[in-house]
This record gives sequence, C-alpha cells and structure tokens, in this order.
Amino acid sequence: MQGNTRRTGIMTDVHRRFLQLLMTHGVLEECDVKRLQKHCYKVHDCNATIEKLEDFINNINSVLESLYIEIKKGVTEDDGRPIYALVNLATTSISKMASDFAENELDLFRKALELIIDSDTGFASSTNILNLVDQLKGKKMRKKEAEHVLQKFVQSKWLIEKEGEFTLHGRAILEMDQYIRETYPDAVKVCNICRSLLIQGQSCETCGIRMHLPCVAKYFQSNSEPHCPHCNDYWPHEVPEVFDPEKERETGMSRSNKRSLRSRQH
Amino acid sequence: MPRGQKSKLRAREKRRQARTETQGLEVAKASGAAAAGKSPSSVFGDRPENLPAAGTPSTPEAPEGATGATAASSGTNSAENINSPKAESTSFPKGAESSLSEILNKKVVLLVQFLLQKYQKKEPIRKAEMMKFVIKQYKSHYNEILKRASDHMELAFGVDLKEVDPTRHCYTLVNKLDLSYDSALNEYEHMPKTGILMIVLGVIFMRGNCAPEEAIWEVLNMMGVYAERKHFIYGDPKKVLTEDLVQLKYLEYRQVANSEPPRYEFLWGPRAHAETSKMKVLEFLAKVHDTVPTAFPSWYQEALRDEEERARARAAARARTAALASARSRARASTSSQAK
Repeated sequence: MQGNTRRTGIMTDVHRRFLQLLMTHGVLEECDVKRLQKHCYKVHDCNATIEKLEDFINNINSVLESLYIEIKKGVTEDDGRPIYALVNLATTSISKMASDFAENELDLFRKALELIIDSDTGFASSTNILNLVDQLKGKKMRKKEAEHVLQKFVQSKWLIEKEGEFTLHGRAILEMDQYIRETYPDAVKVCNICRSLLIQGQSCETCGIRMHLPCVAKYFQSNSEPHCPHCNDYWPHEVPEVFDPEKERETGMSRSNKRSLRSRQH
Repeated sequence: MPRGQKSKLRAREKRRQARTETQGLEVAKASGAAAAGKSPSSVFGDRPENLPAAGTPSTPEAPEGATGATAASSGTNSAENINSPKAESTSFPKGAESSLSEILNKKVVLLVQFLLQKYQKKEPIRKAEMMKFVIKQYKSHYNEILKRASDHMELAFGVDLKEVDPTRHCYTLVNKLDLSYDSALNEYEHMPKTGILMIVLGVIFMRGNCAPEEAIWEVLNMMGVYAERKHFIYGDPKKVLTEDLVQLKYLEYRQVANSEPPRYEFLWGPRAHAETSKMKVLEFLAKVHDTVPTAFPSWYQEALRDEEERARARAAARARTAALASARSRARASTSSQAK
C-alpha cells in the first residue's frame, strides 16, 4: 500500500461516471476502458485534455483507498490482454457474486473453483463439475439446470469455457486472488516469473515450475532456444506471441478465432 | 496416469477439515451471520462476511451453531488476535488498535460495500437490514456511520442516499449523473443489464415476442416513465426507445401492417437476441415481481426451449473448434518431436 504521504486525488463527475460504468460492466479490456474514459470526458467536459489512463485510474484509486476498493489491472491468462475490474480489498470472500446468484448456484461455483484449482491444467471438465450437483447446499439442482448456471457464469465473466471445460475468467482471478490464496494454500499454483496466482500456463517437464502464457511470451521473446529459468532444461512448449494491441487492430482477427486455434500446453 | 478422482477427493476433504479447524473467528462470525439470515455478502460458509477474520476487533454476536472451531475462536474476541499472523496478510492496517474510531471506520467501509450491492441490484435499502448486517451492536453510532458512508458514496460514485419512507426508514440510491448519455455508448458487448431495456424486452416477450407500442407505454407509465415527459434518469424516453435502442440494435420498431392511422410495434433486435436470452429476461421480471421464473409456467417453458436451442448451437460451435484445435495440436506434436 502507499506510504503516509497519501495525495488524495480530485474526483470530478468524469471520474464518477467512469467508475459507475466500470462497476456496471464488472470487467473491461484496456481498449474498452480507454474508450470509456474518452466517453466520460466527452459527456462532461469536451475541452479538457484526457489524462493518461494510468494517472486517471490512480487518481480514482487514491479516493477509493479509504474504502478498501480499487480499480485493479490484470492480464488475461490465455492471451495477455490487459483487463480492469473494480475489486474489494478488505474482503476475503467472493462477495461480489453473492448478489447475483442463489445459494446453490454459488456453491456450484465454489465446487467448480475447487476442481479448477486442483487440476493440473487449470481446467475442470463439465462432466466432473456436474457430477457434484448432488452435494450442493441449498435448493436441489438438476444437472440440466447446472449446465444453464455454468453458462450464466460464463456470460457474467466469472468462468471461461473452452471445448467443454471450464477455467477462471481474468475477472475472477483479479477479484478472488486473495480468497483463493487463503483458501487453497497448498493447491494454489504460482507463476515463476511474476509470482502471482496461476490457473492456466505452461510447466517445465523436468522441474515442474509454471509460467503464465503471457509471461512465457515476454520472457522468451526473441529467444530462439528457450530454456527453463529454474533448471535450464530445454523449454518444450510453443512460445506464444506477446500481446500487441496495434497488431490486433490491423489484422482484425477476432478474439474468439484466436482462442480456438490455441490449445493448452500441458 | 493423473491422480485418480478418489485420491483427489480425499486430499480435498483433508484440506477442508484443516481449514475449518484453523478458522476460529471466521466460522463463528459466519455462523452468526448464517443464523441471522442470509447475509448479502457472505457467500461461502467458511468465510467471514466482509472483513478479514482476525482484523475484526468486534465481538461476534451469536456464535450459536458454530462447529468444533468454537474452541479455537474463544480467544479471538480479544485484541491480541489482531496481531496474529493472519492479520498481517489482510489489507486492513497492521496492528490496528481496537479503538472505537477504527471500528467505526470499518463499519463505514462495510456499509459502503453493502450500499453498492443494493445500488447495483436496484433494491431499496431498509434501516433494519443495515442494522442487522452491518451496524450490529454499534446501533448508537448508526447516524454517524450512515452519514459518513453516504458522503463517500456521493464523493466517489456520484450517488445520493435519499430517504423515501421516513416512517419505515426506507432509503434508495439515486444517481446524480444523467445516464441518458450512456445509452449512446454503442461499442460494448455488455448490454445494460437493468433499467428500461430489460422491462421493454420483458413486455415484448410476454406479448408473444411482438408488442404494440401502447402496451409498452402502459407498463412504463406505471413506473413513472412517460413518452411525452422528460425523465430524470432516461431523459427523453420516447427517443430512447424508438431511436437510440433501435440504432443500437436492441429493439426493432416497425409500423403495424396496414394500420391507419399508423400504429407501431416493438420486437427484440438482433443484439438483444445475441446478448441476452428469454430466460435472462424472465429472471429479471421474476425478480421485479419478487418471485421465480417458474411462477410463469408457459413463459418458463418457452424460455427453456430457447435455452436448449442455444445450447445446441453452442455445442455445434464447440465441436467445430475442437476439431480445428486437435488438428493443430497434432501438427504441432509432430514438429516438436522432430525438434527434440
């Protein structure tokens, strides 16, 4: 946390609108965040120079600090896109979901979360999750309903689905980082490079250390012979490309296309 | 062969047991909350409401129903627990003394979180709820905590806490920002989850997927939204419905065939079909009427059929991408084995 010289920023309606809209969306990608910022400036004050995004957000965060809320920046685990979400810092439970889901639905999420964290690949199969439907707290849920609930989680960006398996959305990782580390201290995996929570990634077949795909991309950038940073053994996996927002706009390649072409590397 | 399901389940059980034993105060607090009724923010039974466990100096109110962890929790009421290792990892200031001002600060933080949740759900806020879930034993400080929390809401979010019913102490959160501008935001995948659009989609759905304009206004008028009157949130409602939302492809607005004088009807637009579903709209309507989707059997059936359709379409898409991906990985495997 910041030191004692806390310079509280000035909140204007531009910042407030931004905050409200970000809160409504839950999580946004950086390009959308920039557009949102521009929109908020346009609505309130056309002539002011648009503050640099980082400063703009730090400004808001300094006001939110005393409320133990902050706009947190993260990176999607599969392709390294920067994302932003409003997170509670003072809570260790998954409280943000509580207002949108029933008790048995939340318990389904918890079961899925546990399977995901326990798994080797960071994915839990739909079958395995649905088999736990009988153990849920609250009202009895049938497998058919559970399928529907899992899709709700995907649509509200708590889970990602790929080929019938589920993993955590970047939003869930941002919001629940602390909760996950505290609840599953043994099962939790950590990236060797950035030391933050790891759900999906690549692992060294010799020594077992793991790295996020975007961390692998940056670390082995322009390195034709990648070696494990820990045991120096040959790194056997395909090194993904570093996320470049400019390139993406040019090629016009949609995100869903990219994801389907990339398969997991465990 | 990866670890079998049984051994994984055993390990998980062991972990869960270990967790419940070490979670003294947390379990006591959570079961207190559970005994008090559904807390808006405690989700997982073995997690505290909002505050990190050991950082809370206040005594848990009703530890009845606490499991075997009560033995461990007996020591947690005292201030010493704040300096325990658990406290170090929390985000509240380390070594926070259990002074009244620190406690009140935390109550303000909790109340703001509570109000934010209520705001997002568009639910009214009752004093009784605030007392039960947040204020608890600090009732005498209610006014101070409420004032500070509402000041924060106003400063940070531009949202005002207004009392709507002084006799029943019922409040609502009113946005000071005019949101009619935001309907012009057209690039987002997320559609506005609440508000006028969901209601309109609901009316269209309930009228057999095509609703005469009069039916829409009938419902909106009941909410205090009129075609001819400027609305403090929606601005010009007629324009929002017939122009903005149509431009954004959430609604279709067309003339009823052969109507003279011309009458108009509304349908779901392609973007509404893409970004929401009949089930979601039905859920929204059910919530508004404080009931469940199954209370509307025929619409529920239709929504279920719609869900099945969508599931089928998704499965087909998935099969396509899976085929693509496996073809790719086969190609990659053959090249990487060559490289080795």
